[in-house]
Amino acid sequence: MSASLSAPEAVTAGQNQLMAAQPAAIAALQAALNAEHAAVYGYGVAGAHLTGAKQKAAARGWAAHEAARDTLSSMIIALGGQPAAAAAAYRLPFPVRGKQAAIMLAAVLEDRVAAAYLGLVALGNARLRMFGARAVQVAALRATSWRGEALAFPGLEVPVSGPVPAAQGASRPAPGPSTPGPSTSGG
Amino acid sequence: MGRVATRRSVLAAAASLSLAAAGCGKGIGALGTPPRLLPDVAVARDAIAGENLMISRYDAALAAVPALAGSLTPLLEQHREHLVRLQARLIEPAAGSQQDQSPSGPAPTAPPQVPASPAAAQAYLREAEQTAASTLLGKLTAASPSLAQLLASIAASEASHALLLVPNRRST
Repeated sequence: MSASLSAPEAVTAGQNQLMAAQPAAIAALQAALNAEHAAVYGYGVAGAHLTGAKQKAAARGWAAHEAARDTLSSMIIALGGQPAAAAAAYRLPFPVRGKQAAIMLAAVLEDRVAAAYLGLVALGNARLRMFGARAVQVAALRATSWRGEALAFPGLEVPVSGPVPAAQGASRPAPGPSTPGPSTSGG
Repeated sequence: MGRVATRRSVLAAAASLSLAAAGCGKGIGALGTPPRLLPDVAVARDAIAGENLMISRYDAALAAVPALAGSLTPLLEQHREHLVRLQARLIEPAAGSQQDQSPSGPAPTAPPQVPASPAAAQAYLREAEQTAASTLLGKLTAASPSLAQLLASIAASEASHALLLVPNRRST
């Protein structure tokens, strides 16, 4: 499937030299990758409940997160790390049975992606900082278009926690609006 | 037992400290140089000035086009939240000369000129938000990790505002 939206940032070959092998950088990239894995899964769920323009937007979001996932994997490999694999299933933050919940899920996925990329902004490497900051912005823009309103502090204050890896392969949604731990890294 | 000794040594240290502070030149040197301003202070000051400017622009826009209150007020509120959060980062010594005592008062400049039509006012704010967001991103590498995260988050919020500042979006 071709990604119709470009990744937040492309990895260039020259970037590799700039990134000295840093465990902190790898850990932050892995956290972002985990959030992207969850977003790809979640957009698949959301898209199934949407139609028309919203469904197209979900498809674009899904493709964009796939592309971002590939970008992050490449960056992790370039740093000598092993990209984290996706979980078999992710527990949704709330049951998604209709359009409104699907839209809210997409917004929450983006919130969580923004939070993960904000971890890169704390790194010493200037290019990774900027990469993270731009990705926070891209996620915040998508969240805003889903939600119809902006957040004051995207990534810093996540209104609802997003999907987290299901405990033991359980693919069913968690009953009720349960609040799983606000794990930003999903270690 | 150890406690007494500790207290004594503390008292002794305090005594020598007050002697040093009392005036002899060598003692003052031993106290060390006054702390220099961290880069974060300059970055935070700039960001505070930027938020104040955005707030004054929104105030001017609301005065020029009151019909936009419904869509602009939530965005203005978020700028106020940004300002509060940034000001909390700026811990400046209260004593001494405070040349710029009120960072919240853009006193010398005249209020921004905002076009009076709703669409033009929105376009004006949209551009201002985009500029503000990219200005913050430009400061990112000069900031400490935690301030950089705050700036990146605020920049993302401002870019989101720009997305919402389009004509005929949810017209009231």
